[in-house]
Amino acid sequence: MTVQEKSPQTTSLRSRINWLDLGLRVGAVIMALLITSLILLVANAQPLKAYWNIVLGAFSSTQKVSAVIASWVPLVLTTSGLLFTFTAGLWNIGMEGQVVVGSVFCVGAFRFLDQTGLDPWIVITIAFLAGALGGFLWAILPGVMRIYGGVNEIFGGLGLNFVAKALAIWLIFGPWKRPGVASMSGTEWIDPQFRLTYLPGTSLSPVIVVIALIGAIFVALMLKGTHFGLRLKAIGKNDRAAHLLGIPTTRYFLLAFGICGIFAGVAGSILVTSKQFSLIPDAGFGYGFLGLLVAMLVNYHPILSSIVAFFFAALSVGNVELQYMGLNSYLAGVLQGFLVLFVVMTNGVRQRLYKKG
Amino acid sequence: MNIELRNIHKWFGKVHANDDISLKITSGTIQGILGENGAGKSTLMKILSGFIHADSGEILLDGNLVKIKSPDDAIRLGIGMLHQDPLDFPPMRVIDNFLLGQHGGLFLNRTQVEKQIQELSQKFGFQINPDAYVETLTVGERQQLEILRLLWMGVRILILDEPTTGISANQKEKLFATLVTLAKQDLTVIFVSHKLEDVQGLCDRVAVFRQGKVAGELTPPYNTDEFIQLMFDKEIKIGAKTTACRPEPLLRLENIGIEDYRLRLRNINLTLYRGEILGLAGMEGSGQKLFLQMLAGIKRPVCGKIMINDVNYAGKRYENFLKAGISYIPASRMEEGLIPGLTLTEHFILSEEHNELLISQKEALNLTQSRINDFRIKGVPYSKVEQLSGGNQQRALLALMREKLNLILMEHPTRGLDIESSIWIWKKMKERCADCTSIVFISADLEEIIQYSDRILVFFGGMVSEPIDANTTSVDELGQLIGGIGW
Amino acid sequence: MFSKRVWLVVSMLLILALLLSACAKTGPAAGEKFTFGMLLIGPANDMGWSQAHYDGGLYVQEKLPGTEMIYLENVFQGPGGQVQTGAELATDMATNKGAKLVIFNSDDMKDNAIKFAQEHPDIYVIHASGDTAWKEGKNYIDLPNLKNIMGEMEYGKMIAGCAAALTTQTGKIGFLGPLINEETRRFAASAYLGAKYCWTEYLGKDPADLEFKVTWIGFWFNIPGTTLDPTQVADDFYNTGYDVVISSIDTTEALTEAKKFTADGKQVWAIPYDYAKACEGADDVCLGVEYFNWGPAYLAAIKSIQDGTWKSSFDLNGPDWSDINNPDTSAVGFNKGGALSEENSALIDKFIGELGSGLNLWTGPINLQDGTQYLADGVAATKQEIWYLPQLLEGMEGQSE
Repeated sequence: MTVQEKSPQTTSLRSRINWLDLGLRVGAVIMALLITSLILLVANAQPLKAYWNIVLGAFSSTQKVSAVIASWVPLVLTTSGLLFTFTAGLWNIGMEGQVVVGSVFCVGAFRFLDQTGLDPWIVITIAFLAGALGGFLWAILPGVMRIYGGVNEIFGGLGLNFVAKALAIWLIFGPWKRPGVASMSGTEWIDPQFRLTYLPGTSLSPVIVVIALIGAIFVALMLKGTHFGLRLKAIGKNDRAAHLLGIPTTRYFLLAFGICGIFAGVAGSILVTSKQFSLIPDAGFGYGFLGLLVAMLVNYHPILSSIVAFFFAALSVGNVELQYMGLNSYLAGVLQGFLVLFVVMTNGVRQRLYKKG
Repeated sequence: MNIELRNIHKWFGKVHANDDISLKITSGTIQGILGENGAGKSTLMKILSGFIHADSGEILLDGNLVKIKSPDDAIRLGIGMLHQDPLDFPPMRVIDNFLLGQHGGLFLNRTQVEKQIQELSQKFGFQINPDAYVETLTVGERQQLEILRLLWMGVRILILDEPTTGISANQKEKLFATLVTLAKQDLTVIFVSHKLEDVQGLCDRVAVFRQGKVAGELTPPYNTDEFIQLMFDKEIKIGAKTTACRPEPLLRLENIGIEDYRLRLRNINLTLYRGEILGLAGMEGSGQKLFLQMLAGIKRPVCGKIMINDVNYAGKRYENFLKAGISYIPASRMEEGLIPGLTLTEHFILSEEHNELLISQKEALNLTQSRINDFRIKGVPYSKVEQLSGGNQQRALLALMREKLNLILMEHPTRGLDIESSIWIWKKMKERCADCTSIVFISADLEEIIQYSDRILVFFGGMVSEPIDANTTSVDELGQLIGGIGW
Repeated sequence: MFSKRVWLVVSMLLILALLLSACAKTGPAAGEKFTFGMLLIGPANDMGWSQAHYDGGLYVQEKLPGTEMIYLENVFQGPGGQVQTGAELATDMATNKGAKLVIFNSDDMKDNAIKFAQEHPDIYVIHASGDTAWKEGKNYIDLPNLKNIMGEMEYGKMIAGCAAALTTQTGKIGFLGPLINEETRRFAASAYLGAKYCWTEYLGKDPADLEFKVTWIGFWFNIPGTTLDPTQVADDFYNTGYDVVISSIDTTEALTEAKKFTADGKQVWAIPYDYAKACEGADDVCLGVEYFNWGPAYLAAIKSIQDGTWKSSFDLNGPDWSDINNPDTSAVGFNKGGALSEENSALIDKFIGELGSGLNLWTGPINLQDGTQYLADGVAATKQEIWYLPQLLEGMEGQSE
């Protein structure tokens, strides 16, 4: 039992565990597909045909691929933001609300600057910054509530999601309502000059892809290669020890929330400027929640999360094809839900195996 | 019962855990088995008690060749092992614990067993109420219970694997008394330990193991240096005390008061000198931990001043203490000291102050490798800390300390470590002291406190003694103070 | 090592995408089949607004061989809705499904319909219930490929209001409104005008004794957590003495609740909306349904595309007074329900007759809710004055905006 014998043992152990890991994950995906297939069979549809239709629905034309990318962008941003909080061991359930408030601030900026005659690009930039600020502020709140009020961030976030939606609804029905109209369908559209231009024949503006890529790369770099990322990771794994090592945990908690919120706000601004062009009650489109699922699914791995986000985006876009078949549009949601469920379950299994091993 | 082991070999993969071990143990003796962690002691004991099988070799009991295929076999042959963690069933009564281990017979005979327990207790001087719930017993009592249970099952050879970890000095004393009684009744006791002082104080003979072999056998009178020579195949000298930087004060406590929900400490006045080692003695929970955490900036004093360089640090944040060159090394390594899931390298990056954004992997690796070498951590830079053994975790924790420090605060710095590690850690600490770093440490081991401290504070129920000169005190004097006598 | 695997996955996905887009680029050959898309704000089987449109599409398919309808439901953003906007889905229909015409079936989709029409000048767009193509309207945009179609539901609402006024025992009529806009205001007002007319002219009662209360839920149908719950609103009406509820939302909660209350021994009534067969299965409480018949207008529009006579227009189609329930000619109809008494049924027929022969209830004096005069005595409202009604009318209770 000397040093020389010990290290190869640990490495072989590590590679074995990785295979186990992979197997479990693949197993989870298969299980999710099986259960969804069962549901499809009950609904009198052919599962294989349905899946193939999703694939077709997502990739069968340039327009479709661009639509997938367009819905990948906000998702990858929310997921990326969430990687910060997850790394710090925080559950930022309030992400959806942060996207909504980001949209609120963004739309607010447009309303405020509408008549100033400034160059559209300046206005758009300011609106994005405002959106980021909105997300930031809304994300700091659960952080502050946790640190100074002792409120678990899960409950704080859940509550703030409702408040964010209530805020949006209040604005839509109140101060920002269309003249003579009281409908939840949203505020007046922003001026066409503020809408991001699409690539011809698509609903995708290239700018947002650049933003998403920058965001994803930023996260990967920050979490992998910087002192900041490592400190967050340390806090997430053992905040007491991290504190004793001299990391100002409180500040890092807030930073993690704040950065996550900025990502949410930018995602919200993208939705406003390239998709919805107005404020709607569900301004987050569920991207905040979906981001949580993706992050959990990849066990908080930055590069993988971009890929899985793409897969999820493809699912929700390809899903339209199922509707042409007359199938319920919730199918993609069902599949996504089961995927996460099974992955979380296999995480439990894996932990048990680790303990035994 | 006499035991004879002949040419026992045991391989685990490439590791030769027991390499041609031959040993004779006669009835009525307490046989010590001493060795570093991983020297092969536990392997041999597991072979003897049937948990694993030797690859080759013979076991003779009273001259008869036996095959021990399972723990059951061992018990039937009269060999019982007391594990590090007693294998009992806490939510039960003592008596049920016995009944569970009963052999044969469909019906449980409660009264008879109860009578037997009482007889045995009398014979060996145990004091255990058969109707008590096991969960209400202390670790020491559970040990006694387990021994009693083994005796009741007819064991004549009792193996104890590291029995003194996790029990108090008082309980240890009782255990040793019991073992002596057992030996007098002609039982064979095999006492496995890596603690020199335990073995020296108890055993009639000691076999020292090193790297799977019996390095040698010793009988009283014992000589510590001889033991160390056998265990490590080299001489390790316990360093002498240093007083190089003594005259210059580092820190002054003025009328400090600290309290938590149980304890109130008041009016602590103390000047700590550079390069000084201050030992804190006392029973667990007497206030020494509060005191240490106060010095670390974790626990804020309710009154008084902590003066460092004419600045009052009382009420300042932990970060300020850290900046003042104060480093706190917590006792619970995996809970407070290290971060499970992170590698050694990552720990070293975290421990240093960095203002730049990007991590320089190369620099970090170099630092880690040099610290690994320097602190002789058995691991590689990308080892996750939870993969390290306890001793190596402690070394890693020490290695995380920054280069220039004014004050190191330690809780139980050598608890659970083997002698070599302990001695080595103190050698490292002494080097720090030579650089005029002061050390304040808590230990439950009075020998350690006297051995390494310059001055000693004794804590008892919230009271703090005047500093005691370590050169003029004794274990007895400290022991009395700790127990509340002489205040 | 790891990133290599990642790139492998990414490149495989990309190759798959390219392959698929390469092999599936076959649109339908021109001239053979005419595909039209329909974006429904609700489900195609909602027994209301969306189903009426869906049935209109089926009517076209039946009458004009070679046409094929594709449709998507729940085209709105929110829980249970679509992830893509109406414009995005329409683009999908046009570029991937070969649709030459896309019908946006809700006022709610106005912005998306305009955006889509602007971005796809080669695709025909029908926006049902908008006013974009109305040259004389307030919101005219010159888009040659966009047409507005709407039924003159003012008449349907008047008939519904009349049936309610004739039936109510308490003199209290509830109006279950969707969201507030010009369309819903003028429909609520029309229902009130119809009710008031029948209340005073046929029953000879004092208009001051007629209570007419409007409650808006905030959207065309229930979105849990976002809108008021129409079930709850209907319950509140019935519990506070309103014994007839005129529903003006897309779905049939009022009818369901009326059945429940009536089954519990409290006779109340409801008037659903939009869909010709909405009364089915609710004969004991349904007074009738004013409904849209979209088929003929859609058929005409598609024929005009095929024979090249399409013109951007604002088509406000009224009832065929010779038979308001003629499926091939009447855009707006009223199907009497089983709960309408024989006596009242006769009065309804009489009322329809009067409307058909020129009775115009949108004639002054009419005051707005805040008391200001809208139409002077004897003055008939213009089309614009009806369409862009700014407030509810005097005598109506409820929010105007």
